[in-house]
Amino acid sequence: MANLITRRETIAAAGAVAAAATGGAAQAQIATQPATAPNLPIERGATLRMLRPVRFVQPDEDVWRANCQRFAQANGIEVRVDFVGWEDITQQTAVTANTGAGPDIIVGFDAGPHLFAEKIHDLTDVATYLGQKYGGWRPLANAYGRRGDRWISLPFGASGGPAIWRTSTLREAGFESVPDDHAGFLRLCQALKRINKPAGFALGNAVGDGNAFANWLVWSFGGSLTDEQGAVSINSPQTVAALNYLRELYQTFVPGTLAWGDISNNRAYAAGECHLTQNGVSLYFSMLNDPALRHIAEDTQMTPMPKGTLNAVPNAGLTLNAMVFRHSRFPNAAKALLTFLMETEQYDPWLQANIGYWSQPLNAYAASATWTKDPKISVFRDTMNNPFWNGYKGPIVEGSVAATADYVMVQMCAAVASGQATPQAAAAEAERRAQRYFRRR
Amino acid sequence: MTDAAAAPQSNTATAAPEMLSWDSKSRRVVMLYVPLACFLLILLFPFYWMTVTAFKPNAELYDYATHNPFWITSPTLDHIRHLLFNTSYPHWLWTTMLVSIAATFLSLLSSTLAAYAIQRLRFRGSQYVGLAIYLAYLVPPSILFIPLATMVVRLGLFDTPFALILTYPTFLVPFCTWLLIGYFKSIPYELEECALIDGASRLQILRQITLPLAIPGLISAGIFSFTLSWNEFIYALAFIQSSENKTVPVAILTELVTGDVYQWGALMAGSLLGSLPVAIFYSFFVDYYVSSLTGAVKE
Amino acid sequence: MSATTAPVWTKTRQQPGALARLFDNKAFLIIVCLAPAVGLLMTFLTYPLGLGIWLAFTDTTIGRPGIWVGIENFEFLMEDPIFLNSVFYSVFYTAVATFGKFGLGLWLALLLNQHLPMKSLLRAIILLPWIVPTVLSAIAFWWIYDPQFSIISYLSMKMGLTEGPIDFINTAWPARWSLIFANIWRGIPFVAISLLAGLQTISPSLYEAALLDGATPWQRFRHITFPMLMPILAIVMTFSIIFTFTDFQLVYAITRGGPVNSTHLMATLAFQRGIPGGQLGEGAAIAVAMIPFLVFATLFSYFGLARRKWQQGESND
Repeated sequence: MANLITRRETIAAAGAVAAAATGGAAQAQIATQPATAPNLPIERGATLRMLRPVRFVQPDEDVWRANCQRFAQANGIEVRVDFVGWEDITQQTAVTANTGAGPDIIVGFDAGPHLFAEKIHDLTDVATYLGQKYGGWRPLANAYGRRGDRWISLPFGASGGPAIWRTSTLREAGFESVPDDHAGFLRLCQALKRINKPAGFALGNAVGDGNAFANWLVWSFGGSLTDEQGAVSINSPQTVAALNYLRELYQTFVPGTLAWGDISNNRAYAAGECHLTQNGVSLYFSMLNDPALRHIAEDTQMTPMPKGTLNAVPNAGLTLNAMVFRHSRFPNAAKALLTFLMETEQYDPWLQANIGYWSQPLNAYAASATWTKDPKISVFRDTMNNPFWNGYKGPIVEGSVAATADYVMVQMCAAVASGQATPQAAAAEAERRAQRYFRRR
Repeated sequence: MTDAAAAPQSNTATAAPEMLSWDSKSRRVVMLYVPLACFLLILLFPFYWMTVTAFKPNAELYDYATHNPFWITSPTLDHIRHLLFNTSYPHWLWTTMLVSIAATFLSLLSSTLAAYAIQRLRFRGSQYVGLAIYLAYLVPPSILFIPLATMVVRLGLFDTPFALILTYPTFLVPFCTWLLIGYFKSIPYELEECALIDGASRLQILRQITLPLAIPGLISAGIFSFTLSWNEFIYALAFIQSSENKTVPVAILTELVTGDVYQWGALMAGSLLGSLPVAIFYSFFVDYYVSSLTGAVKE
Repeated sequence: MSATTAPVWTKTRQQPGALARLFDNKAFLIIVCLAPAVGLLMTFLTYPLGLGIWLAFTDTTIGRPGIWVGIENFEFLMEDPIFLNSVFYSVFYTAVATFGKFGLGLWLALLLNQHLPMKSLLRAIILLPWIVPTVLSAIAFWWIYDPQFSIISYLSMKMGLTEGPIDFINTAWPARWSLIFANIWRGIPFVAISLLAGLQTISPSLYEAALLDGATPWQRFRHITFPMLMPILAIVMTFSIIFTFTDFQLVYAITRGGPVNSTHLMATLAFQRGIPGGQLGEGAAIAVAMIPFLVFATLFSYFGLARRKWQQGESND
């Protein structure tokens, strides 16, 4: 990596400067409250290693690196950031936690840190400080970051999963926008299928899109993996209704969705094979930056998925969630770095560079210029205000994480869609698997 | 092409062992050259495709309508350049080389001694020790890597090349020992007996008589070990974390598959460059490698 | 090892004869020679193997040491359709791939055994798929199987065989067959070259004698080639079955067990449950469940195919 640093640094610095230039005026808008930063004397000669999921949009990586580099220079320490694939981050975290060696900080996904609560540092002090300063943490951040009344991790942002669709195609099918009810949504998908411009939603083991769709489907029918007390409640009439609905919906999908990973729908949509899907902002962003695809981006609209039987759109944004391992020899430096990254000077440029890919966990950043630059992406602004999380409705425990990591919900849906199982059988099987994860703790 | 392939299929069993018959030329073409060409085509096509993709600009890569996918209109070194300068590829290559050579050396040393003890020193139960070592080859790494990871950490080797250098012999030593036992077996006992009578010590015999005669075996075992080490995946996936310490196979799968698009050009360039060193190395020792596949079979 | 040799060295400094005598002491020499190999294997294989088996009977998760739960993991797995499917696919994958590799490999070996120009070059080229790291060729296959840009789809559409792109890895059965094909592709060279070496040890005089007796080509194959190949066939098959059954890389690189778990091999499922899923105990149980299959396959090919030859001892060359 050493030979790359210089080049990356220059790129990253350039990115940061560009971002800062556009966001310079906007930074003033981030309102802060007085708060005392926790005293974290940085260990002398500290070296930090951080592991992060790979970027979906290039500036994410560039600005992130630049921010870390600034912290390193300001404190005379060394910070190294490694980026790994989305599917690999869970296992890398698992190995790190299990072996007690490896990076000091891992930015994982969602409730991941809860799986390793015994192996990571308490972050209550910095979380309280940041919460005070930036107008409080949003509901999803509270759900994923806290264990009881203490903070075990710092959520950095969440990627929402709204419906993303081609305006012209919907019009051609006779729709102005995505209907808000199940029946209308099904009619839309059937109409799209008829004009041979079908919809498609990931049913493969995709960390982001697969979970987003399966969760939306089950939740929007009132089903849930667990009840409020944390008992497994997946085998319910609501779930079966959702799966019955999926059976019809799936007939309208573009072929191949059973094997879709996080990237597949991006590609199918950009290739014009699929005209309605569910995704983060990356798809829109990459098309916007590609002259050949710009016309699709301009034709694209992003709106929340249907509410279904609920009052709010059920979506648990895929959340970046940073944890500091107890085996780190420089816990203060690690905590200080995370705090540093969440401060306006670093966080706002990063937020803006991502153009909404990661949506803020702290209320004050809702005022960021990110959300006013392009009206299309404003749908992502309140991603973390959603009262849904993986493993909903029960409290987050190891079981919720393990059940998500094992794709219990996704595979239940896929089993029905592929015709491998009836809705009843699939729900029962999901219950059996989930019970095993939730029972032991 | 498909017709030609199908035709000899039905006759092959009868025709193939015909070593001594003098077939007509056309029969020979249909029975021998056509199937052989098909085999070659299928076995080599993925490499051709890898190479073509590695040098194709992205514009051609995803546009089969205007560009013939089998050829490159304007070859580019972009993917290779990306690999060499934007990723840690040189570092991965270096690590893989280091690990493979060290693991091979360690395995050769211990298996030569073990094979010598089992085959030449012949003690009560020696064949059982041989069998036990052979059986060790049956233990799949997928069982071992979880407990091994905890051990590797306790020994302070996590995320270091030593984690791999010390664990690779678990699957190399059984094979090498087994191979070398075969080679030692083929060296006449009389040679050693004469030397013993002449008053040479057993160590001298090993060093001056047995080992030199077993050199082809050592080379074979060495090449096999090197290739297996180069190819190893699960341990490297589990014991190495930082991106610059990864081995080539793991790094290409985990580091080059980035978020927004599969960068097929870079992936194929990585696969090509990752295959080249071992392919070149192998091309020098082809015959030894072949004989390592088949133990003591001599040609 | 160093502890046992250290005093020896000091002693021999004064009287070199003792060192020589010591190293001529067979028992001592045996121990010294076996120590590195046995030590390595004991530490990094036997001990973790035991640890892994123990884990299979616990409910250990990552981050929490488990307690002994007896055969509960196995009880759960027996009712788990995904596990049962992985057992099925592992057996199916191994059986079909082995059959394919040996059928085609034997054919290729017989072809190569004929008089050919540039034979050694040919042999070297044919071994390439076996030399190249599995993951890297798997990535190439992944690209060849691409749902959109598959070159095979392109060809078949060009030739009018299919209308749209071929579905290689997006639904269960095509994915299973695609993986098996990739495995066969990689395995053919190993089988072919090994069997070729076996073929070359068969004395031509046997065939000459058979020709004089008027044996048909099929009879010659059946009664000379095949029996003479048996010993080497048994060894190669043992290895091939072990490699195939415990395969991990190919599936991990191309499908990661998908779509809908249909291509999980036991090894990839053990990994999925054990590491990303965090259920170390259950993962270890799946891994341990592979052992009976491996033992059975090995005993079958070792004793079933090689019995006669092995009983004759070392006279096979």
